[in-house]
Amino acid sequence: MAQAPFPTREEVDFVVVGSGSAGGIVAKELSVAGFSTVVLEQGPYLRPGDFSHDEWDITEDEGLAWGPRKGHPQTFRRHENEKAEVADRAVLGYAHNVGGSSAHFSGNFWRLRPIDFMERTVKGEIPGTTFTDWPITYEELEPYYSKVEWDIGMSGLAGPWDPPRSRDYPLPPLPVKASGVLLEQAAKKLGLTAYPQPHAILSQPYNGRPGCINCGFCNGFGCEVAAKSSTAEAMIPQALESGNCDLRTGCTVSRIETNSAGRVTEVVYWEKDGTEQSQRAKAVVLCANGAETPRLLLLSESSQFPDGLANSSGMVGKNLMFNGSSSTAGLFEHPVNAHKSVPTTRVIHDFYELDPSLGFYGGGGIDARHLNRGLPMSFAMRGARFSGARWGSQFKQEIARDFTHACSFNGHTTTVPLASNNVSLDPEVKDKWGRAALRTTFMNHPDDFATMKFFAERGEELMEAAGATEINSSYNSTGQMGGVHLLGTCRMGNDPSNSVIDRYNRAHDVANLFMVDGSTMVTSGRGQPTMTIMALAFRAADNLIQAARRGDI
Amino acid sequence: MTKALTEKALTRREFLRSATESARDSLLILSTPTLLLAGQQAHAAMEAGEALTTLAAGEAAEFAAIAARIIPTDETPGANEAGVIYFMDRILGGSRAEFLPALRQGLAELQQSANSSYGSPSFSSLTADQQDSLLRTVDRTDFFNTLHYLTIAGMFSSPALGGNRDRIGWKLLGFEARHAWMPPFGYYDAQQMETGE
Repeated sequence: MAQAPFPTREEVDFVVVGSGSAGGIVAKELSVAGFSTVVLEQGPYLRPGDFSHDEWDITEDEGLAWGPRKGHPQTFRRHENEKAEVADRAVLGYAHNVGGSSAHFSGNFWRLRPIDFMERTVKGEIPGTTFTDWPITYEELEPYYSKVEWDIGMSGLAGPWDPPRSRDYPLPPLPVKASGVLLEQAAKKLGLTAYPQPHAILSQPYNGRPGCINCGFCNGFGCEVAAKSSTAEAMIPQALESGNCDLRTGCTVSRIETNSAGRVTEVVYWEKDGTEQSQRAKAVVLCANGAETPRLLLLSESSQFPDGLANSSGMVGKNLMFNGSSSTAGLFEHPVNAHKSVPTTRVIHDFYELDPSLGFYGGGGIDARHLNRGLPMSFAMRGARFSGARWGSQFKQEIARDFTHACSFNGHTTTVPLASNNVSLDPEVKDKWGRAALRTTFMNHPDDFATMKFFAERGEELMEAAGATEINSSYNSTGQMGGVHLLGTCRMGNDPSNSVIDRYNRAHDVANLFMVDGSTMVTSGRGQPTMTIMALAFRAADNLIQAARRGDI
Repeated sequence: MTKALTEKALTRREFLRSATESARDSLLILSTPTLLLAGQQAHAAMEAGEALTTLAAGEAAEFAAIAARIIPTDETPGANEAGVIYFMDRILGGSRAEFLPALRQGLAELQQSANSSYGSPSFSSLTADQQDSLLRTVDRTDFFNTLHYLTIAGMFSSPALGGNRDRIGWKLLGFEARHAWMPPFGYYDAQQMETGE
C-alpha cells in the first residue's frame, strides 16, 4: 500500500487525530477525495494476524484498551466537590489501535430513530438537565446510515421494526443462536417483536473480507479473520491506497497550536520514542473519542483560549453520557452455549420510548446474550450468578452448570445529559507523557435508574416467558463508574453559548477546527452509539470536502 | 435460513448425540485415574520445586491449599490439578509482583489464626473443614480477594500462562478452545432448525 509521507513543516490539508470509528472514516473520505491527510494514532496498526483469544491479555493486561498498567491512569469521583481517586482500571474505556474501539466492539449497530433528534420538543423539558434537541434531523442523517451499512459492511434484515431506510442491508443477518431463539419465543408470548440484531460483522464474504466464523470472541477482542467491520479493515486500507493519507502510528498528541487570528496552525505530538514533532495543517479534525477529544481541547488552553480551545461555551467535557444497562440471567434445561458466535442475534425495540405516564424519561432495547462476555475467566470471576457463591464446591458446581446453560437478556438504555457529569483534567495525576490524567465526574440522573429498573423488570418477565428455571435480574442502582460509550462531551448545536460545534461539526470558536466522534452527540440514544458515530463521520466528511473545495477551511 | 445451511447444520438428534458424547468424553477425562494422575503430576512438580521461580516452597504450598478450597477437587479436578499455583508463581514474579507483599502479610495473619484456632501454624496441614471455616472469616478481605482473583485466573486463563493444565478449567465449564463454530450452537436453535418454529 502506498502511504504518502508528508513533511511535518509543510502544511497538509487536514490532520485527523485518531483513527477509530470516526477518524478512520474521515481519513478515508478526505484522502480518497484528493486531500492530503495526516492521521495521528497513538496505538499500533494491528491486523487480523496480530489478534488472539488470550483473555488475560485483553481483560486484565489492557492488551487493546490501555489503562493504568500501560501508563494511563484515570481518576473518578461522583460529585464536583469531591477529590477524584485513581481507579484500578480505565474509567473511560477505549481501544488504543488503528480502528480504535471498532477493532474490539461487538458490532451491534442500531440506527437512532427520528424521535432521538427532537425528543426535548416532543417529551418536554427535564428540569435541571441539559436535555435538548439535536440541530439535525433523522432525515438528514439517514443517507449516511445507509452508507455505513454498505461502505463499512453490515448484516441485517430490514423490516417493520426499522426506522425509515432508503436501502436494504447489503448482507443477510448472522445465524440465530439459542439465546436469540429463547428471546424470540418469549417475545412472541408477550406480544413483543424480537428481530435479527443488525451487525457491523459480515455474515458472508464482502468487499474482499470473509464472513464470520462464529468464534465467539467479539467483545473486547480483535477479529482474527477481518469479518468484523472495523475501520482498520474497512476504511484505512482505502485511505492508504489513495496515496493521500499518511498514517502515523504510535503518535500521541500533546496540544493544538493556534495563531493570533485564533486559527489552528499545527498539531504537536510525540512519536513512540518520545521525539516531539509538529504537523502543520490547514484544518484539524479531532476524532479522538468522547474522552480524549475534550481532554486535548482542555490541554490546548492558551492566553487567547484560557478555558481550553473552543470552549467559550464552557461545554467542552460536559454532558458526559454512557448509556445505562440491565442484565437478567436465566438458566435453562438444555445447552444454550451463548459463548459461541457473536454476542447477540435478536433484539427487542418495543420499549424504545417509554410512556411519559410512568413518570420518568427513558427508553431502550433488550437483546439476548452471554453472561460476562462469554469468557471463561470473566464468567467465573463474577461468582455463581444465581446463588452468589464465590468459592467452594457449590460455586464450582454452579459455574460448571451455568456456563453452557445460562444466558442473559440485557437492557441498553438512555442516559440523561447533565453538565455535572463530565470529563476534566486531573489537577494532580499525570499520564506517562506527563499530561494531566482524565478525570471523570459522574452520577446518574434519577431517570437513568428508573429506566434501568424498568428494563431489569422487563428482562425478568421475558426470562419467565422463555422458561428459565432460575432468574437473576440486576442493574447498577448506585451509579455508573465508567463506560465505553463516551458521548456528549463536545455537543453539537446551533447556539454557540451552549454547544461546542455547529451542525457541520465546526467549532463555534475556531473556524478551521472540527470535532467528529461520540463527543458530538446531543443525547445518548438507546445503547449502541457506534453506528451513529460512523454516520455522523460520513456526513461530517461530506461537509468538510465541500467546505475545503470552496476554500472555507 | 437457506436450505444449504440447514442441510449442513446438525439435526437436533445429531446435536443431542454429539452433546451427549462430549459430556461422556468429559466424564472420561475427569475419571479417577486421570484425575489422580493430573493431581500427582502437579503435586510431584511442586515437591521437586519444579518451575517455582518466585514463591518459596512453603508459602507456595499454603497458597495452593487456599486455591484448592476456592476450587476444590471433588468429582472433578480443581485448582490443584489445574496447576493454579504455577500461574500464581509466574504472575507474582512478573506483572503482578506488587501483590506479593500484601499476600505474604495476609498469609502470616491467616497462619496465626490457624495456630490460635487449631494449634497448627500451617494452613495446608489443616483438614478441609478447618480450612473452610478459617477462610469464611476472611473471604471479604483484600487478601482473600487477591488470591481468589489469581486462582480464577490460573484456572480459566490460557494454559500458556502456566495454569489451566490440560485445559482442566475450560473442561469444567464446557468451554472448548475452538476458533470456529457452525450453527446450531445450542439446543434451542437446533430445535428451531429442525421444526422451523
